Amino acid sequence: MALLDILIYPDNRLRDIAKPVDGVDDSVRVLLDDMLETMYEAPGIGLAATQVGVNRRVVVIDVSEDKNTPLVLINPEILSSAGEGVGEEGCLSIPGIYEDVKRAAEIRFRALDRNGESYEMDADGLLAVCVQHEVDHLDGKLFVDYLSALKRNRIRKKMQKSEKPR
Amino acid sequence: MRSVAKSDDSIRLTAVRTLTSVVADGKSLGELLPAARQNLDTRGAALLQELTYGAARWSYRLDALLLKLVNKPLRNRDADVRVALWLGLYEAEYMRTPDYAVTDSYVRLAKKLGKPWARGLINATIRKFFRERETLLASLAEDEVAETAHPAWLLKMLSADWPEQHPSIAEAGNARAPLVLRVNRRQLNRTQMLDALSTAGIAARPHELADDAILIDGNAQVERLPGYENGHFSVQDVAAQLAAVLLDAQTGHRVLDACAAPGGKTCHILELQPSVDLISLDSSASRLLRVEENLARLDLTAKTVCADASDTANWWDGQPFDRILLDAPCSALGVLRRRPDIRRLRRESDIPVLASLQLDLLQALWPLLAPGGRLVYATCSVLRRENEQVVGRFLDATSDAREVPLEVDWGYECLHGRQILPGQHEADGFYYAILQKV
Repeated sequence: MALLDILIYPDNRLRDIAKPVDGVDDSVRVLLDDMLETMYEAPGIGLAATQVGVNRRVVVIDVSEDKNTPLVLINPEILSSAGEGVGEEGCLSIPGIYEDVKRAAEIRFRALDRNGESYEMDADGLLAVCVQHEVDHLDGKLFVDYLSALKRNRIRKKMQKSEKPR
Repeated sequence: MRSVAKSDDSIRLTAVRTLTSVVADGKSLGELLPAARQNLDTRGAALLQELTYGAARWSYRLDALLLKLVNKPLRNRDADVRVALWLGLYEAEYMRTPDYAVTDSYVRLAKKLGKPWARGLINATIRKFFRERETLLASLAEDEVAETAHPAWLLKMLSADWPEQHPSIAEAGNARAPLVLRVNRRQLNRTQMLDALSTAGIAARPHELADDAILIDGNAQVERLPGYENGHFSVQDVAAQLAAVLLDAQTGHRVLDACAAPGGKTCHILELQPSVDLISLDSSASRLLRVEENLARLDLTAKTVCADASDTANWWDGQPFDRILLDAPCSALGVLRRRPDIRRLRRESDIPVLASLQLDLLQALWPLLAPGGRLVYATCSVLRRENEQVVGRFLDATSDAREVPLEVDWGYECLHGRQILPGQHEADGFYYAILQKV
């Protein structure tokens, strides 16, 4: 297992649209393990392959309190959504920024697990938000895109400034 | 995604806003909480649930306490401050939050509510409660509304309808409801489900009242119970599990579930008898989605139709039904233990409106029933005006309807039908009557 570098906004690669995984093989499983390690280390509750510069539709999530319930989403699809709610979000690619985002309150999604088996799941609360946030990453979308242009520009400037000394 | 750890203070603020919306805007916790707990972790969501449900459950008691603590009642536009004080008193009295933490947290909340002027009021009120706790609580004993935490109009109706049982009805309305499962007998039997629960280390026991019911002792997260994703069970109170049994649908029957959402009873009908032609009707498209989700999860099939059941010209194809389940819209006063906010949302004037709606539905659906067919009328109310009186008025006006007596050992016999009172058989309050077309 290895820690991966997380791309920082406004890196252009965060805008790439990830390609579906053809078959879940050992190379995908190595990526999953590395992504999980990177997510736990960050620490985060979700990480999309796009954020580590890998252009594939792979997501790892763990919203449990004890960090012992990893969830793997390969080629995830949101099948239905209901309700809406506003909650504060943060992103491993946009450190230090937390803003309110409006999302569906409940969703149903389909994905492949680490064995390539398809599964469907209903999610609400934090898990529902996290799945929507990570699936957005696979489509090159970031939570700051939901903010006003003014707010987003302010965040971009702030991030560009803080990026230089790195 | 990075986690946003919510402080207890921010959860308290959400709790105040949520409960204020119940009190001031007439919204239910059921519709408010899914959005409010968005982004909260498990612990935060549990705290929000405990605060809002708990303070709603005891709100009439907490409000009586508050009136003894403040010099003059709070203005209507300060409903949020009033709710914040309920929550503070709730934490102090029911949650064992340390006294200093209650005072500090709720004083800080005044500013977050944009009402810094309320700091002094909150501080003085909560401190006074701690100083005079014993005397204050003792003084509530004489006040029936405070003692039972039920509104006066409801106490009056309950004691008129149930002169002997009304104290235990109120008590059951304040209790915490157990988690009850309905095993999907298409997939496994109750013994197998109990074994799976026992293997998962979850204390559970069969429920005497219904063949598929399992009662879970203690707290459990539904999504984590074994077999949830595979549709091995549904969550449904045991009293509601009697509906499909009483309906007694047979192979080849045409069946209507007239007010179906969220679909618990629709699914149970199909689990008991898959070879029926079932139409699952509801007037709310969004709630009908829940029916479809439940059908899909349990791997069952029914035709779902979005329509107002009484507007039969608009949705009925003219083919009569052998069975109709009318789980009628009602006051839900039998399920206060599961929906404590009902006592804040219902008004005395709702009851006659509901009763005439219920009678209208019965009369509109009756012509759809085939001769010899059976209609089960159900509510989760305990009021005679919504139950036996509706059925009585219907029978008086309908010459081809007769009542099928319920020869069962549960509940109380009424003039028509039978009533399970809340807490009886560890069940929700529920009413059933069976009508047959001659």
